[in-house]
Amino acid sequence: MEKKFFQTSIKDSLFTGLIALALFGPIVGLRTVAKNEVLEVHPKWFIVLIIVIVCAVGRFLTNLYVYNRDQKTGIQSSIGKSISNFLDTKGYQIALTAIIFSVIFPFLPFTDRYLMDIAIMMLTYIMLGWGLNIVIGLAGLLDLGYVAFYAVGAYSYALFAIHFGWSFWICLPIAGIFAAMFGVLLGFPVLRLRGDYLAIVTLAFGEMIRILLLNWYQLTKGPDGLTGIPRPSFFGLPFKSFPDEGEQTFHTFFGIEYNPMQRIIFLYYLILVLALITNLFTIKIRRLPIGRAWEALREDEIACKSLGVNPRNTKLTAFAIGAMFGGFAGSFFATRQAFISPESFTFIESAIIVAIVVLGGMGSQTGVVLATVFLIGLIEVFRDFESYRMIAFGGAMVLIMIFRPRGILATRKPTITLEKSSSK
Amino acid sequence: MSQKLLDVENLTMKFGGLVAIDNLSFSADKDKITSIIGPNGAGKTTVFNCLTGFYKATAGSMFLNKENERLNLRKFSDFKVAQKAGVARTFQNIRLFPQMSVLENLMVAQHNKLMDASGFTILGLFNSPSFVKKEKEAVEISKYWLDIIGLTHRADDDAGDLPYGDQRKLEIVRAMCINPHLLCLDEPAAGLNAKESAELNKLLLFIKNEKKTGILLIEHDMSVVMEISDHVVVLNYGKKIFQGSAKETKNSPEVIEAYLGTEE
Repeated sequence: MEKKFFQTSIKDSLFTGLIALALFGPIVGLRTVAKNEVLEVHPKWFIVLIIVIVCAVGRFLTNLYVYNRDQKTGIQSSIGKSISNFLDTKGYQIALTAIIFSVIFPFLPFTDRYLMDIAIMMLTYIMLGWGLNIVIGLAGLLDLGYVAFYAVGAYSYALFAIHFGWSFWICLPIAGIFAAMFGVLLGFPVLRLRGDYLAIVTLAFGEMIRILLLNWYQLTKGPDGLTGIPRPSFFGLPFKSFPDEGEQTFHTFFGIEYNPMQRIIFLYYLILVLALITNLFTIKIRRLPIGRAWEALREDEIACKSLGVNPRNTKLTAFAIGAMFGGFAGSFFATRQAFISPESFTFIESAIIVAIVVLGGMGSQTGVVLATVFLIGLIEVFRDFESYRMIAFGGAMVLIMIFRPRGILATRKPTITLEKSSSK
Repeated sequence: MSQKLLDVENLTMKFGGLVAIDNLSFSADKDKITSIIGPNGAGKTTVFNCLTGFYKATAGSMFLNKENERLNLRKFSDFKVAQKAGVARTFQNIRLFPQMSVLENLMVAQHNKLMDASGFTILGLFNSPSFVKKEKEAVEISKYWLDIIGLTHRADDDAGDLPYGDQRKLEIVRAMCINPHLLCLDEPAAGLNAKESAELNKLLLFIKNEKKTGILLIEHDMSVVMEISDHVVVLNYGKKIFQGSAKETKNSPEVIEAYLGTEE
């Protein structure tokens, strides 16, 4: 038994080496160098050999100690089990701790400008994740073009704010409504599509919006982007170091020293509030008839029809509401950056948001937070090693898939229970 | 002439050159159980799909007679048959929402009513008293049906975790939760053992007698068909070859030849 296991492990690792050779041979081994306008091939077989050996030996070791296709070795199942037990039972406490932590975060002693920026970015992704969770997690519509709504929100905020000079609090709902309208616009043609086909069309939709923004120069300034987007003000009090004559600013009004961190902290709380609104809204709407209809539609569309649930309206509301929160996040993005260009809304953004939702565990609100902290945190840690970021990102995904194949937090709680509602 | 609940006249359904249903006419009574039997491929499920709007019938008419209105079912498309006309159905291969709880399954069936009560979600977001009251009522209705099929203790479990027989029964009461005039059951006894079939008979008789709901039943299990049917329609190759009471059907030579087979 032991010997046979050893044999299969060796076989498996040799096979892995073969795959590594096929992959890295052409990619790493054959290096082309331009010399005197002629392309020359410089083979680097030694490096390929090292990579292949590392892959094969690594596979052999993981087979023995960590993970095996045929039998689960100790570490994998025990770690997986303890993580899932902890997360499943302590979901509520984790959420509460996270909220308290995020409220006091700006005033912690080690918090600096850099950490605040990362935190704001994470919260933006968390909000996007929660918004997309409505579409993917609840309604089960795999939307790979979510960044389009983020872009629509950002651009409509920017255009209204620049051309009409309206304040953030007026432009925010307008941007949300615009994004929701685009959600319905996308929703109509894809009503009959499911699964892979839906994914392809939504992906194309995301690219269409980006290309539109790139080419509609009169409106969007194309690749130059929109500059001079007004910064948000604290209920009419701007954050400025040198106020104009007779102008009330945040620091003069409260009679404190000007500090550039004030605006950052304000932005932090702004996105925190927006994200929490998204979360509360989703938690609430899940328990309403429309939320249950979304989940039922995800489970079985034909059964829904037989019960008189209107699939068209149900899907369109899911697209529209998901898009609306994407639009809110987009307007926050625009006001924070003060500059937007189509480059900020590429497919990779959609992919990251989808990864956050799927890895977090479809439909799980806490899971989205954990996945965001994990993935975005990882990308940040690897900031100095720019070219290895995507490798780390992919590696993290593989790890989550091995240990938590259904997402970090996969348990679903019923939206209504008999005990609770009948205990009078 | 007494009004029938359902009048199907000259119903024809063609898929390209294939005639799945050929000029079929039959009717179903209120508070009666009408069974449709016949060999595999006779077009029984196609009849259901036409009735419940999943297919658009090629020709013919289907009328549902309520107390004071006569609805042409051909005018309704898919979900509207359930929503507007009150025709509910179950499926040959069970179609529950497996990852939702048993109670949630029944709540989804009361979607349209609750959706109106929640003021298209806006009132519901603010917990308006009228919505809370309606939701409580819906839970009570669900509980009533769960008590009848004896699944109250499993209300908060995933529907997909129930044993097969319970899933069948749950699907039937879920269809009843839309408060239908006509209930179409597609092979509800398939895969049930003798004890479960007997329970199913009891449930169907209860729905017929207490709820005054007309039942249209497709079934291969003759113990179910013969015991509870008031009226039997026999199909073969999309054509009606016989109709009559259960007893007449059992003794009809055409039916024995086409479907039941000779006595062993």
